[in-house]
Amino acid sequence: MMTLTRRGFALGTAGAAAAMALARPAIAQSEPIRIGWLGSLTGPLAAPGVGFDRGMKWALAEVNGAGGVKGRHVEIIVRDTQGDPTKAVNATQELISRQKVHAMWGPGNSGEALATTPIMARQKMPDLHPCVVNSLIDPEKYPNAFRLAPSNTQWDDAVRHYTLDIVRAKDVAVIGDSTGYGTSAVKDSVANFKKDGANVVYQATIDPNTSDVTPDMLRMRDSGAKALVIWSVTTGLNSRLMNARAAIKWDVPIIGHPALGTGEVGKLVDKPANWENVYMVGYRSCSYGADGKLPARSQEFVDKIKGKIELADTSLWWVLCAVDAVNVITRAVAETGSTAPEALIGAWNKLDPYPGLFGNYRFSPTQHNGYPTDEVVMSAANSQRDLVGLGCEEQTKGWGRGRAPTCLLRPC
Amino acid sequence: MTGLRALVPFLPVAALAIALPFTGNDYWAVIGTRAAIYWVLVAGLNLVVGFGGQLAIGWVALLTVGAYTASVLVASAAWPIYMALAAAAGLGAVSGVVVGLPALRLRTFYFAMATLGFATIVTQVALAWESVTGGGIGVSGPAFPAPFDTAWGFYALCAVAAALCTWMTVNVGDSRFGRALVAIRDAEVAAEATGISKPALLVTVFLFAGATAGVAGGLFATLQSYITPDAFTFDLSVLFFIAILIGGRGSIIGPLLGTILLTVLPEFAAPLVAWSTFLYAALLGVIVLVMPGGIANLLDFRGRKPLESNRAIVPRPALLGEFLNHTTAEASIRLAGVALGFGAVRAIDGLDLVIRPGEVHGLIGPNGSGKTTTLNVISGFNRPDTGSLRLGAHPLPAGMPQTRARLGIARTFQTPRLIGEASLLENVMIGGTIEGRATFGETLVSLPRHRRDERVLRDAAMLALRTVGLESLAEARADRLQHSELRFMEIARALMLRPAFLLLDEPAAGLSPDEIRRLGELIAAIAARGTGVLLVEHHADLIFDICDHVTVLNLGRELAAGTPADIRAHQEVVSAYLGG
Amino acid sequence: MLSAILASGLAVGAVYALIGVTYNVMFSASRVMSFTAGQLGMLGGVFGALFISRLGLPGVVGFALTLAACALVGVITEIVAVRPVLGRLEQHLYVLSTLAFALMIQQFTAIEWSTEPQPFPRLFGIGSGGPFDEKFWLPLLACAAVIVGLELLYRRTLVGRAFLAIAEDNFAARALGLPERNLRIASFALAGVIGGLAGFAGGELLLANFANGGVLNFYGFVPVALGGLGNSRGAVVGGLALGVFQQAANFTVGGVFASVAVFVVFIVVLLAAPSGLFGPQQARRV
Repeated sequence: MMTLTRRGFALGTAGAAAAMALARPAIAQSEPIRIGWLGSLTGPLAAPGVGFDRGMKWALAEVNGAGGVKGRHVEIIVRDTQGDPTKAVNATQELISRQKVHAMWGPGNSGEALATTPIMARQKMPDLHPCVVNSLIDPEKYPNAFRLAPSNTQWDDAVRHYTLDIVRAKDVAVIGDSTGYGTSAVKDSVANFKKDGANVVYQATIDPNTSDVTPDMLRMRDSGAKALVIWSVTTGLNSRLMNARAAIKWDVPIIGHPALGTGEVGKLVDKPANWENVYMVGYRSCSYGADGKLPARSQEFVDKIKGKIELADTSLWWVLCAVDAVNVITRAVAETGSTAPEALIGAWNKLDPYPGLFGNYRFSPTQHNGYPTDEVVMSAANSQRDLVGLGCEEQTKGWGRGRAPTCLLRPC
Repeated sequence: MTGLRALVPFLPVAALAIALPFTGNDYWAVIGTRAAIYWVLVAGLNLVVGFGGQLAIGWVALLTVGAYTASVLVASAAWPIYMALAAAAGLGAVSGVVVGLPALRLRTFYFAMATLGFATIVTQVALAWESVTGGGIGVSGPAFPAPFDTAWGFYALCAVAAALCTWMTVNVGDSRFGRALVAIRDAEVAAEATGISKPALLVTVFLFAGATAGVAGGLFATLQSYITPDAFTFDLSVLFFIAILIGGRGSIIGPLLGTILLTVLPEFAAPLVAWSTFLYAALLGVIVLVMPGGIANLLDFRGRKPLESNRAIVPRPALLGEFLNHTTAEASIRLAGVALGFGAVRAIDGLDLVIRPGEVHGLIGPNGSGKTTTLNVISGFNRPDTGSLRLGAHPLPAGMPQTRARLGIARTFQTPRLIGEASLLENVMIGGTIEGRATFGETLVSLPRHRRDERVLRDAAMLALRTVGLESLAEARADRLQHSELRFMEIARALMLRPAFLLLDEPAAGLSPDEIRRLGELIAAIAARGTGVLLVEHHADLIFDICDHVTVLNLGRELAAGTPADIRAHQEVVSAYLGG
Repeated sequence: MLSAILASGLAVGAVYALIGVTYNVMFSASRVMSFTAGQLGMLGGVFGALFISRLGLPGVVGFALTLAACALVGVITEIVAVRPVLGRLEQHLYVLSTLAFALMIQQFTAIEWSTEPQPFPRLFGIGSGGPFDEKFWLPLLACAAVIVGLELLYRRTLVGRAFLAIAEDNFAARALGLPERNLRIASFALAGVIGGLAGFAGGELLLANFANGGVLNFYGFVPVALGGLGNSRGAVVGGLALGVFQQAANFTVGGVFASVAVFVVFIVVLLAAPSGLFGPQQARRV
């Protein structure tokens, strides 16, 4: 009885598989190109996800408006992971097995990406992601995974060079929030500072919900730090550090993570002056040059989306990066005429360079870190208030006043 | 036989689990695996929360411990995965006791808060202890060798683990341990009076629940492929906890269904993901307010069968001979100069009292004269300020109620203490908890000694019920019985100890004259078998009918003492109390 | 430096103390510990920011509306999560019903307000971040006002005495003909006001952030556990001590170890003295 059913089932599935195999070539030519998008769209870690999402939707509308790719429609299947690794794992498998996507974008949070990357690798799913954690890119272990954003090392290099060579501080305090990202970034940063001969006089992680960071600030001052390096995505913590610095009247430069420059921080500082003397990692494509202008490609995009995409509450680079992601995927399909994993991965391995909006990406079979180091720049954090407001008529008028990037980083 | 019957409700779930691979879709393998892993944890936690009533809301801490133990041992120390999993179980068990220990000292809400604190701290430690845990960057989950290295192979492994946990907790749930846990939850004082040691029992259960959580953690790490502290969210803790309450406290099939529901439901409600925790919370609220019995209550068809409405309690004192045989003269309980105050009130103010084997000793007096307090002092619930308390030549430890059962001192309560959801038979079986010989470990895997224990207990309880005349209601839920029936049930439960002394706190309150008469006969028969009875009562007729000796209390002092005839003739008593 | 630690320690301590008082006021009226105490504190900050910053109402109006809104949440707590389970107090269902309601409040705020902390308006503009900045002394002021107010209420007014009678002995109070239910509702409204005041006064320090709910729930409970259930003076002493201890630990050991230190002290004290340092003895059980 049992064996009968089992055999019946086996026969049935074999038949179905055969039928699918036969039908496949015909379908493959016309079926939509499905892109899975693992975004943290709600919850405490949603800010980047929301920005990426806007870019994806924009790029999708553009590519489908132009008739799709070789007559094939593009679809994006989005799953909100809420920054929760368990939800991300479920969603990854669902997108692969049930939705049968051809490529993935995301996830962006370290906890999620660390969990989903090996899972996607096992199933050879072509994946582009913007997560900065170094270990996520390893062409040997994860030949399917490509990074469309800087790695943590690139951020860290930029911040370190700026601290040591421009600010010329040798005694530094390195702090982060007590999240997974914060603790690991602090660890890497401290090691690199020491390697470069700097004196790390203070090192700590702080609970992002700490209501008053004056004690931490006092400890850092006592330690004799000449610059504070901060790795935190938490706007509350970042702004509290700036306020505490002002409260103890300590004029020390703060240097670090791009989140130091988000508009949310601007809202939370007690007074605008507290946001002075703060420098963040930025990107050439999203910064005003010495001439007070955005790079032409970015300017063109900003003009095009004016009134269509809200930029006031997000960061331009998230939007640009996601637009590039869709384009990198669709271009690979256009080039190879296929959505097979090997085809996409093969095409990506030969991107050299791809001129995207966010940067000129370069991939090779042995190098899946695509973002060019020379496009990572440092800028004054409060200059971002003009950039984040690019969508608004009133604020765009003022962008000429925006601070120029204080330093363009030398290529490493 | 009963063991197998207990597994019947699980057959549909088992069938579903066996059918799942036929979808052939790896996605369902992941969801099924996740449900199985969560159940491994919830099965253990269910004994803590659902049975023991200990509100451990931060149990994700133990998942974290297990996940990191297994992952780190495999990744850094290159242990074989199965040994690492065993280590995760071991460390989980120890951590379970550490997290659970405050439950022995703290009140419910305090304990809930303490477990919450643990959940936060464990994550923080995982972040800070970088050299071992990898800090924020985390560590790879352990990989299983073939045949468990595929999605469906791993599913099979987890499903077997889940089935094993189900079987073990069903064994415990149906044992004296399970009943004792529920007794601690719903009738703590009765549990203590029957000699159940709350600390020993809870520590055992925390060990077990910690071990299953540790194993679940190891499997969880494999499923996730990589773990970081942010995988262990408070939401996960809430999910485990709510799964149990949705399922219904004191049930096993209910929480199992609850776990499956909460794991699978979000997969069908993708647009609502932002609201998922809100909806879990709302669900919890609805369950607590509208159907505290949970799913299990909906499935409890037996408990809804109507009871015979025209029923009478007819005790059979003759059956007492089967378990009360105090033929040799035994020691007496002696109180000398006992005094006890609550704040400014002197509840007992220097009392001497002797309860002799084979005698019924009546204790009467107006409200607040110290009758129940005296009973509480003897049974260890109140510690006297001064005075001595002896059983024969040995002092009775003051203020330790759980020691009395072993000394053969049983009691009943003014308000019957019972487990409403359990059957009458199970309630009575609780009385014999300390008679069991099988250890918790033997019970888990249903070894012969456990099965013999259960048989013996069941037979004894049935006999006790026949003795008090309630055997026709043995399978009825206790909360559906009448007040008078519960009073006889309490006596049956006390008889399970084969007591040398029986302390009865107003057993006749709320009984009809007929029932009082039968109660009197039963008590007299118990005493005739050599048991010393202390009878706290208001019904003067009952006292004078069956007592060998009567003490009258007033304001915590002895007003009069003697034979019923002496008391009846006592001028002061008659005028002050008997209203004669 | 000492002044900075004391200023911020006493300030957060005052907020913790007020949340502790919120727990106690609810407990006195109903014998129920409610997980909503911390959420009320969180709402005080969020409502303040909503009314004053986002809707642009004058500070006084915003303050009054915040307290009113929190009082309303208190009353809803009583109706939804407390009253239905009062009959089965010994089953501790209130732990679950109030946990459910608290989670709903927190999640709703996260979704409808923001998951990012939002700025709380500067109320007077006194001080510029130093130890005498308003963000440090406003919570202390609020704490003092609540203590004095409660003393006056309990000692000088009839309603206050009725509160005390209920706290002392529920059954006796009902037997005396006190409107027990109305007094309980009033107590929960009062708890809402106190919790809301805590959040409002501490708004500049804590910001308008949904995550404060959980934090305040825990750290507001610690003073109750230390000071003894129902003992508001104990809660104030415990709260201020906790705040200073926490900031001192932040300063001396910093980061993660500070929270571990707070937790360890909490557990050790609780295990040593389950009724708190100033608490009453255990009640009769049989």
